[in-house]
Amino acid sequence: MRLPVPRQSLRGGVESSGETDAPADSGAASGGGTLEAFTPADGSPVAVNSIYKPAADPSDWTIAVVVKDSSNGWFVRMEEGVKQFADDYGINAYQKGPVATDAAQQVEVIENQINQDIDAICVVPVDPATCDTVLQDAKDKGIKVICHEGSSANCDIDLEAFSNAGYGAYIMDNLAEAMGEEGTYVTMVAHLTNASQNEWADGAVARAEEAYPNLVNLEASPRVESENNSERAYEVAKEVLKTYPEVKGFVGTSSMDTPGIARAIDELGLNGKVFVCGTGMPNECRELIKSGSIHSAQLWDPAEAGYAMCVMATMMLDGQTIGAGTDLGLASYSDMIVNADNSNIVEGAGWISLKADNVDNYSF
Amino acid sequence: MSDYIIRAKGIKKYFGGVKALDGVDLEIKKGEVHCLAGENGCGKSTIINVISGFYTPDGGELEIDGVSYPKMTPQQSIAAGIQVIYQDLSVFPNLTVMENLALNMELASGRKFVSKKRFREIAKEAVAKINFEIDLDEKVENLSVADKQLIAISRALLNNAKLIIMDEPTTAITKKEVRALFSVIRDLQKQNIAILFVSHKLDEVFEIAERFTIFRNGKNTGAGDASELTQEKFTYYMTGREIKETPFVYEEKPGAQKVLEIKNLNLKNGFKNVNLSLGEGEILGITGLLGSGRTELVQALFGYHKADSGEIYIRGNKVEINTVKDGIKNGIGYVPPERIVEGVFLPQSIKENISIEKWDEWAGPLGIMNEKKIEEVVNEWVEKLRIKLHDINDPMNTLSGGNQQKCVLAKWLILDLNVLILNGPTVGVDIGAKFDIYELVKKLAANGLSVIIISDDIPEILSNCNRVIVMRRGEIVKEGLTKDMDEASLAEFAVAD
Amino acid sequence: MNNKTKKILHSSEFYVGVIIVLFCLLIQMRSGQFFTGNNLVDIIRSFSIPVMFCVGELMVLISGGVDCSFPAIASLSMFVVCKYMENVTTSPLPFFLVAALIGLVFGILNGVIIGKYRFPALIVTLGTSSICWGVMQGVFQSREYPLCPTLLAVGKAKLLTATNAETGLSSDLPMITVFMVLLLLLGWFILNKTMLGRGIYAIGGDIIAAKRAGFNVFGTTVFIYAFSGMMAGIIGVFRACMLQAVHPNNLEGLEMTAIAACVLGGVSITGGKGTVLQACLGMLLLTIVSNSLILLGISTHWQNVVTGLIIIAGTAATAIQNQRNAKKLAVKLTES
Repeated sequence: MRLPVPRQSLRGGVESSGETDAPADSGAASGGGTLEAFTPADGSPVAVNSIYKPAADPSDWTIAVVVKDSSNGWFVRMEEGVKQFADDYGINAYQKGPVATDAAQQVEVIENQINQDIDAICVVPVDPATCDTVLQDAKDKGIKVICHEGSSANCDIDLEAFSNAGYGAYIMDNLAEAMGEEGTYVTMVAHLTNASQNEWADGAVARAEEAYPNLVNLEASPRVESENNSERAYEVAKEVLKTYPEVKGFVGTSSMDTPGIARAIDELGLNGKVFVCGTGMPNECRELIKSGSIHSAQLWDPAEAGYAMCVMATMMLDGQTIGAGTDLGLASYSDMIVNADNSNIVEGAGWISLKADNVDNYSF
Repeated sequence: MSDYIIRAKGIKKYFGGVKALDGVDLEIKKGEVHCLAGENGCGKSTIINVISGFYTPDGGELEIDGVSYPKMTPQQSIAAGIQVIYQDLSVFPNLTVMENLALNMELASGRKFVSKKRFREIAKEAVAKINFEIDLDEKVENLSVADKQLIAISRALLNNAKLIIMDEPTTAITKKEVRALFSVIRDLQKQNIAILFVSHKLDEVFEIAERFTIFRNGKNTGAGDASELTQEKFTYYMTGREIKETPFVYEEKPGAQKVLEIKNLNLKNGFKNVNLSLGEGEILGITGLLGSGRTELVQALFGYHKADSGEIYIRGNKVEINTVKDGIKNGIGYVPPERIVEGVFLPQSIKENISIEKWDEWAGPLGIMNEKKIEEVVNEWVEKLRIKLHDINDPMNTLSGGNQQKCVLAKWLILDLNVLILNGPTVGVDIGAKFDIYELVKKLAANGLSVIIISDDIPEILSNCNRVIVMRRGEIVKEGLTKDMDEASLAEFAVAD
Repeated sequence: MNNKTKKILHSSEFYVGVIIVLFCLLIQMRSGQFFTGNNLVDIIRSFSIPVMFCVGELMVLISGGVDCSFPAIASLSMFVVCKYMENVTTSPLPFFLVAALIGLVFGILNGVIIGKYRFPALIVTLGTSSICWGVMQGVFQSREYPLCPTLLAVGKAKLLTATNAETGLSSDLPMITVFMVLLLLLGWFILNKTMLGRGIYAIGGDIIAAKRAGFNVFGTTVFIYAFSGMMAGIIGVFRACMLQAVHPNNLEGLEMTAIAACVLGGVSITGGKGTVLQACLGMLLLTIVSNSLILLGISTHWQNVVTGLIIIAGTAATAIQNQRNAKKLAVKLTES
């Protein structure tokens, strides 16, 4: 797999897109960044500017990252971040995972790791509850436990790329830019009962109300469902555009929504008149982004998350406390916030935006 | 050329250790109507399968039209002129008459595509053979059993049949239809086509058959000219036991209150102005054609239909019977003809089937069943009715038809009934079990239970009921004591227009 | 009233047809947009993939079985060819052939097990379905995958573009709908014009009678499931073409839609009865409903409720007809 140009990608879409009015908590501009942390694989792997200098001898530490599925492109990308961390910090960090997304197999992999004299383990759980027992074993052995994308009851801390509201606001910032900050928009979720997607959509609506007075959420049908099916998203988007010609923008939350809506816009001949922003995977959205049907697709970069988890593990091994304002040495993880409902979860601002000029840096 | 279309000698067929046929003989002359009788499991269907080439016999000789067949395929059997009309008639209910008639021929000639024109020609030719008038485009499911039977016969004739085997063709059709069928059979006979007629009903055997063969347990028990048969011989050959029928005698106690009285009961499209009464211990027979309103009448008594007007009295008290629950509450039990469909839960245990109507009563607090009580009562009735079974916890479908029928009876007898209604109680039941059921019903009546029997079988009614009513077009057209009646006049009342 | 009119009035097709027409008129009245070229094209497009699945399902239902495995077979075939053949060929045909072959294998597996051992079709096809999803996930590591240019071109090929003069919106009728028409015709032809097709009805009517009549019951059963599987493979690739992406789980749950459409149109769930027209009408009603609730201005919260009500109304038409016959009293009184 071709290595993306990490420097640019890790700085995040926020900076590279030239976005200026980024959300206040994005931390995009805040200092202490590890802009040099990711150097090209062939460059010299020196952590020039790391804010964190471990007190004890870190070269003895071992950090294992266990993901859902080692062959999945998303986690291949995450491994790049883990390797980068190992190079930057001179700490033994590596990634493992089952060959298929399978909760039981993943527990086995975790068991193997905790029996190998590691100091910290970072887990992206297939099923958080299944991992509870084995992670308790890890803790009993004095191993620091970090989770990502789902938190086990027995993890020391759960690192999430962003807060739901913050991510929604970020999508809205992108859509507002595309729409010229005025017009009517509709939000799309897989189902009205889906918790996180609706929180993203709520975050987007709240952002529009607060920052873009001329953006209006369609009153008659403010939120529609795609059933997590891109064909359905396409059909629904068409129907919305037929019924409500005033609609100029869509917020897609499920990764099925954005490409589906884009195909509808394209076919109806509304490219450049109607815009869609929302969650989307690079492979799937690449052509649609390049053709202009998708203004920009949002997501978080798994490499950054992998990197940040390892940094967090190192800090914990060093005895530092993780909390509000913690800086994990990456621009988008430089001012962590603590989740209001669960103090065990810390959230970054790890969103990125895919556009025509950077989508080719990602190959998953 | 032989005089015989079929000569089977010493045919043996074993399934594992079971001797389904243990050296039987069957000889059918050309153009004769031959009756084959025997109880379930006697080997009747096995010999049919041997003749039609589906089973290869394990011993014996089979000769068709003078040609010996040590081994025969179904195709050879058809080519030799053998056609079987199974009891289920093997028609396709979802297809049209035309397709039912033509499909077999077209398949046999290896056609791959459908030609409506050719289908119609074949179908027309088929029905013309027995002068059968029918709408060729009608779906077969909309036809009566008798019409379906004629379709099966017409279809069989298409293959130049020399022998048509009819497996119990009269069980599901009315008297009138039986007559029509017999006249078709006589026509076929004139064309020198032999008929092997499987039946238990002696009167039919007398009427149509020239010769008979009877099997029991895979062996011949009797054969000869039909004219030599008597009811006693016939029953003995089939069951191996002497069955003496005791006519039912009923003496009305003077001044006794009627158990059931019906006054001017009406049901639209069912029956009208029905008046009848039933004394304690009386057995009342109801006969009439299918569709005469007899079933609707008893179903209304049971609460399956709600009568439009009229009054029902149980032991002198006026009652409202609007639902099945009301019927049961008033002590009316109903044993339907299609017990398998309506009265029995086949996969459930015998115990559950017998005790179901009592569950409410025997359930303790929290709805927990008093299993001990249930088993006690069920066992008591199994014994009283002489139900042959292995274990009361076995599923119902492990029992024979006759024993299933007894279980359904037991279910009702557990309740304290005023009136027990039996609709076609002996349809599809072996002759032995049939007499057991009659004896049982008579004993119950002697103990004071009032019974209504609905039946097509007029001899059955005459010998088991003390009184009979005949229904026609929803009305009672004849009522009287059975001792004053004879079969012919009763049948006349049922069919007369 | 003559016989023919009576037959039509008693057919379930008629009632479903009436409901469809009434519903269309209602949408037209509320939105003014139903009978516009682009909207009709949208409906046909959205109707095309599910109705193609209905053809195989219809044959299976008529034979007295049920096929729950076609979405899984379609997804597996689609994923395998889209992922592993993109660098092999630039002609679309081999993609479809290989997908058909994979579908055929699983279809034959279904057919042989059901035909030979008479296991319940529901369980067997659920099993096959599970195997297909499992193989796709475990062996082929399925996940969303970009579609190769060859198939993208198939998806983008259009028959015509309908543009609404008033709103300026345009919709493309994909070339794939030609295949849909062909498949529907093929289904009709097999069922009505071949002895094989009549055999499917015969098996559904009475399997023992079918055997006695000389139908090759085993062969016919294998054919039905093999046909359903093979078509599933092809339709799976068509779906990817239309989605312009490979979504391994996109078809999940479509078996229920196809069965529901058939039953809604009047196909008997217990076998023996059903026509291509009935399946089409059933699917048409479902498609129109799911593509018109926004046009009708029904809020997202209520859409499921309304969909449910319309399905029940549609089914009631056939169900009431049947119930009337079930408890009908036999006696015809000459007077009164």
